[in-house]
Amino acid sequence: MARMKFLCDSKRCIECNGCVTACKNENEVEWGVNRRRVVTINDGEPGETSISVACMHCSDAPCMAVCPTDCFYQTDDGIVLHNKDLCIGCGYCLYACPFGAPQFPSDAAFGERGKMDKCTFCAGGPEEDNSPEEKAKYGANRIAEGKLPMCAEMCSTKALLAGDANEVSDIFRERVIYRGHNDGAWSMSEEDLAYDATQQKA
Amino acid sequence: MRLTKKSDTPAAPSQASGLGLSRRRFLKNSGVAAGGVAAVGIMSPGMMKQAEAASTSSNAPTDIKRTICSHCSVGCGVYAEVQNGVWTGQEPAFDHPFNAGGHCAKGAALREHGHGDRRLKYPMKLVDGKWKKLSWEQAINEVGDKMLQVRKESGPDSVYWLGSAKFSNEQAYLFRKYAAMWGTNNVDHQARICHSTTVAGVANTWGYGAMTNSFNDIHFAKSIILIGSNPAEAHPVSLQHIFRAKERNKAHIICVDPRFTRTAAHADEYVRIRPGSDVAFIWGLLWHIFENGWEDKQFIQQRVYGMDEVRKEVKNWPPAEVESVTGVKESQMRRAAKELAENRPGTVIWCMGGTQHTTGNNNTRAYCILMLALGNMGTSGGGTNIFRGHDNVQGATDLGILSHTLPGYYGLSDGAWKHWSKVWDVDLNWIQNRFDQTVYRKLKPINNKGIPVSRWIDGILEDKKLIDQQDNLRVMVCWGHAVNSQTRGPEMKKAIEKLDTLVIVDPYPTHAAVMSDRKDGVYLIPACTQFETYGSVTASNRSIQWRDQVIEPLFESKPDHEIMYLFSKKLGFDKQLFKNIEIKNNQPVVEDITREINKGMWTIGYTGQSPERLKLHQKNWHTFDYDTLKGEGGPASGDYYGMPWPCWGTAEQGHPGTPILYDTSKSVAEGGLTFRARFGVERDGVNLLAEGSFSKDSDIKDGYPEFSEKLLKKLGWWNDLTAEEKQMAEGKNWKTDLSGGIQRVAIAHGCAPFGNAKARAVVWTFPDKVPLHREPLYTPRRDLVSKYPTWNDSESMYRLPTMYKSIQDKDLSKEYPIILTSGRLVEYEGGGEETRSNPWLAELQQEMFVEVNPIDANNLGFKDGEEVWLEGAEGGKVRVKALVTRRVDEGVVFMPFHFGGMFQGKDLTDKYPTGAAPYVVGEAANTATTYGYDPVTQMQETKVTLCRIQKATA
Amino acid sequence: MLRIKMPSILVLLITLLLSNTAYSTPSDAKVAGFAGADYWQVVKQGSEGRTQDKGSESGQLINVAGEEWRHWRNQWITPAGIFAIGGTLAILAIFYLLVGQKKLEQPRSGQLIERWKRLDRANHWTVAVLFIILAISGLSLLYGKFVLKNLLGNSMWADYMLLCKLAHNYLGPLFVLGLLFMILRWIKHNMFNRTDLIWFLKGGGIIGNAHPSAGYMNGGEKLWFWLLTIVGLIVCISGLVMDFQNFGQLRETMQISNLLHAAGSLLLIAASFGHIYIGTLGTEGALEGMKTGYVDETWAKQHHDLWYEEVTKKSHKDQ
Repeated sequence: MARMKFLCDSKRCIECNGCVTACKNENEVEWGVNRRRVVTINDGEPGETSISVACMHCSDAPCMAVCPTDCFYQTDDGIVLHNKDLCIGCGYCLYACPFGAPQFPSDAAFGERGKMDKCTFCAGGPEEDNSPEEKAKYGANRIAEGKLPMCAEMCSTKALLAGDANEVSDIFRERVIYRGHNDGAWSMSEEDLAYDATQQKA
Repeated sequence: MRLTKKSDTPAAPSQASGLGLSRRRFLKNSGVAAGGVAAVGIMSPGMMKQAEAASTSSNAPTDIKRTICSHCSVGCGVYAEVQNGVWTGQEPAFDHPFNAGGHCAKGAALREHGHGDRRLKYPMKLVDGKWKKLSWEQAINEVGDKMLQVRKESGPDSVYWLGSAKFSNEQAYLFRKYAAMWGTNNVDHQARICHSTTVAGVANTWGYGAMTNSFNDIHFAKSIILIGSNPAEAHPVSLQHIFRAKERNKAHIICVDPRFTRTAAHADEYVRIRPGSDVAFIWGLLWHIFENGWEDKQFIQQRVYGMDEVRKEVKNWPPAEVESVTGVKESQMRRAAKELAENRPGTVIWCMGGTQHTTGNNNTRAYCILMLALGNMGTSGGGTNIFRGHDNVQGATDLGILSHTLPGYYGLSDGAWKHWSKVWDVDLNWIQNRFDQTVYRKLKPINNKGIPVSRWIDGILEDKKLIDQQDNLRVMVCWGHAVNSQTRGPEMKKAIEKLDTLVIVDPYPTHAAVMSDRKDGVYLIPACTQFETYGSVTASNRSIQWRDQVIEPLFESKPDHEIMYLFSKKLGFDKQLFKNIEIKNNQPVVEDITREINKGMWTIGYTGQSPERLKLHQKNWHTFDYDTLKGEGGPASGDYYGMPWPCWGTAEQGHPGTPILYDTSKSVAEGGLTFRARFGVERDGVNLLAEGSFSKDSDIKDGYPEFSEKLLKKLGWWNDLTAEEKQMAEGKNWKTDLSGGIQRVAIAHGCAPFGNAKARAVVWTFPDKVPLHREPLYTPRRDLVSKYPTWNDSESMYRLPTMYKSIQDKDLSKEYPIILTSGRLVEYEGGGEETRSNPWLAELQQEMFVEVNPIDANNLGFKDGEEVWLEGAEGGKVRVKALVTRRVDEGVVFMPFHFGGMFQGKDLTDKYPTGAAPYVVGEAANTATTYGYDPVTQMQETKVTLCRIQKATA
Repeated sequence: MLRIKMPSILVLLITLLLSNTAYSTPSDAKVAGFAGADYWQVVKQGSEGRTQDKGSESGQLINVAGEEWRHWRNQWITPAGIFAIGGTLAILAIFYLLVGQKKLEQPRSGQLIERWKRLDRANHWTVAVLFIILAISGLSLLYGKFVLKNLLGNSMWADYMLLCKLAHNYLGPLFVLGLLFMILRWIKHNMFNRTDLIWFLKGGGIIGNAHPSAGYMNGGEKLWFWLLTIVGLIVCISGLVMDFQNFGQLRETMQISNLLHAAGSLLLIAASFGHIYIGTLGTEGALEGMKTGYVDETWAKQHHDLWYEEVTKKSHKDQ
């Protein structure tokens, strides 16, 4: 069974925001809702490091644990999806989420946030695969078509990887082997090289 | 019960028709993306709100079109999915050799072009300050009548034809031909303010003014020096290739920039220089290289002329002087030089940070000389990898939308006109008579360079007695151009107000339509984008790619070539313009134009890329190697992708294209080349031809001049020509022989048609033979002005008086103590009208800003996020948000130049036609930039001027 | 702040690296940031970076407090609420079974005394009804998914929960107003005095036949009043903080509010059972006061002797 995951190789992420607009494009996400974003730490200074972040589809997903309506579910691939019909827009998932992934279309008084929207790993929602209803509510369902999330597929430098945990780990490990050297003014510690993605397997 | 989503992992990748790709193959090769569920299915539905478009149902059949991103010159491939004529999906082209599916923010948002919410929807004109809708017929007639009237009163030179790097090759070529037949050289496009100094500097060093290698070839580099370029924002997909070199080849990356860019963040060494000190920096590197004997002596001896004169100048740049001028310490200079010397081949990458200077031609030549000294030219992994800007700025430059040349860099001499009138199949006399016949400064306008795009405002505002043409400019045609990318905003406003008529042909209204206080005399004519038509486009690496038409033109817009046809008909030269080009349904047939290009572009080898071959490459882009771009098997086996020019001879001769310029390790027939013999055979008794260096399989084992009928006869190769070829080649040379026979025979003997010479480190035809450091016109370092002064003022350059010394002599460094530089953001392109109208992009950059170092911000008393007034040294003011960051050095501020729709604090959103204002407006950085033009090309100065900043109150 | 060092921070970090790493088994995961240790040090402290995303707190890569909030809410408050409410109910039930209703010791005199004015009653019942609605909807938000979701089926469940949320968010502010009014109106009756001390010492006379003296309000009622005032205000304020998130409160503020709100509400709900019990089943004649506004003289004498004296004195004087 595949276990889907994202991995952002911050050594390659250049904050081009391609993943962000790829997501908008593929899922027709409205202005103000960002299922994915790129955050840069130490912006403009030595050590500047960017990372693209969205819902990371946690195994023990905090959003799922706190949702009052139990609108979340996890697919066999480990993708965390939600049922917008059940969502009441309480915002608890946002409180709990480590990554700030849940997004709300509105921000009005009396807790009127609208229905939560977040990264679906391009796997749509509970509606029938690739039905117009699914597309309208959740955007694309690329997984059902045998494709991977658009953000990762379109990443300009292939910093953002998505797919089965094992394969993603293999790719990343190969990179680490190639990189080998560690003499750059802006590169980091020995741990870069020691990192072995395969050890992180679920 | 928990819902469980059904989603079985497909067992094996399946090949889908249309997307002839293999994600898996791609993954394997590059080890870059991922593939658990690596398989492709034909895409399904798309819900899309497009004006005018019928709604699509999810089961409508899907057409897959192959197109190329229009946002920069990397040339990323795109699969566009179309249902019922609506662009419903965009799939990454994993099998495209340039981008392997990757896209930056702009490329990934490309499909928005199919929405076009904020497009200009129909022809309009400004009447009493209000936009009025016109029919196409009215628009063409009214504008045409005005042009004819001005032509009668002030001559053809009073209409300015400002073309675009957003044209396809065919449209670009047609536009230049169109201007010629109108009778003026007052035609130009963005390349002037983009890489003109590169083209001039580089071409004058070794023959061709273009990127010598390719993005993919960077894979083989062992060191990479980026100077004045920020590809992480301007060409993000190129980082895919740079990272490949960095990771697999252990390439050492040095980033030289006044600003700690996002590219610098990924470099091994970041070198901060003072803006405008590029030559001093390069000479500083060479000082260490020469001092330690790290130069490639054999390469220099065989293939470089004039390095000794460079050596002499470099002696003046010992470490202390370099530190004083550039701000870089000796230890870092030495380290950088050593890295470059020890890691060969290495490549240099430069962009606007090097070119957009008053001294731009000196900068570009200095970069070339660095590579020559290291022997990095003509080799895989080396070269000058000059990243062009707009998607087709290379093509539009090659095809001559330039005021100083006809297509193919033939120039404006009588010979050039003769060549092209022959290609066009029109009477030379007729063309000559279309021009003003008066002689100005010993030159007729037909042979004199026209006013460049950087100076059109002077063409309007300057005293007409001082301009080398009959009258001022009276009608300005901005055909796909963002005026906010040009300097001197307040003067531009005045100039626009002085015009008789402003005509804007563009998919968007642009900043030009709103920046002035005009109440009438402005016409907006809706052109469509490249996704609504088809044709070829030249990427930065000289590869030519064919674009499919994705959708029909939106709203009432029309393709540029159709608009040219409509105007030429109105203006009365359509018969000549389209003599050998068929018109179908009011539209010139694109392939016919391509063929005419093939017929005349011998100089740079745009002759072998017939429409048929281009389409073959397009359909089979998956067959080309990701590293070498060479076709491996398939119908285009052996060709290089897109047949990077020069693709010598005729299409039938089947030249594969030249992936790396001046690479002698391959035979010319296989894409090898020598340095071009462009500057004669000797100078002051010194041989200018190559010595003991020649391309593989060359029958001549030494340097040789360019090929001509005479040389062929002298070599005894004349009889290799067919009878037919002989007839056409008589009295011609490799550039003017329309049969292609001379080129064919030269190549058959393993020779480069353009000769085999040395590159020249000394350009004796330029103001500075050896590139010199000269202080910017507006410099805070007054102490250096006397030692490194600028040039003297000139009475006439490109028809206009041009100032240097008189500006530099005024010391404004007290009133304006801060250096202002400008550059790009990844989310936007150029003047930004198109990208700021794309909500997916606009959302990411909602405010114009200025980057200021915390020290300056604290001294000036404002904080991050506060509004400030920035005033340029010539008084242009912009109100922008302060972004306080150490990205810029103390005393230097940076502004992005993509914003428009605000002017000196005033929001102009209301002045756009209803529904056509971009989502985001902001002050144009160039409202605050100042005077300053390169003496060779009239490149504008956008990278170093002076300004002052204060906190905005209320 | 609730900043407690917990291994979960580590876990978050790993989650970022590898989304599907076993969240629950941090010991298996080896933390080694591939961007370098320094970077991760910064990130895991939840420090801010720059981003083009204009959303609130979008610059923060890791929401450190989120995991703590989840922990407190799910591991402590959720079970504690069950204990508190269930415990209270159980005690009351046992008490009722053992002791039964506290009857009037004397026969009703038929003489009625006005105890609650119309406005008092209206106020009380408004607040009471709102309290019940809010309690039911609030409890549904906390516990509903364990019980009701499967009972109702997806569609009804969705409608019901939306109703709960709307009721909670829109009626909540009304409850705040009602409660404030009540506090201001009744605070003068509820100042503690010596009598109350004795009342408490005698255990309010719950058991046995002791009759501690009481004024208009006895010690127990005053206790309930102050509980409502103090905890109620905390619940109200924290509720408003969450209900009007449009003022740009940060997540951490909301998390704290949520915890206070939940804990406070559960306490009040539990306590309210006591109040309801005493006011209905537990004490004969208590409810009629709040129903009609009048109580029987006998009841007044038994439960609020000082008040009764005061009232009768006053009425004599009037005559």
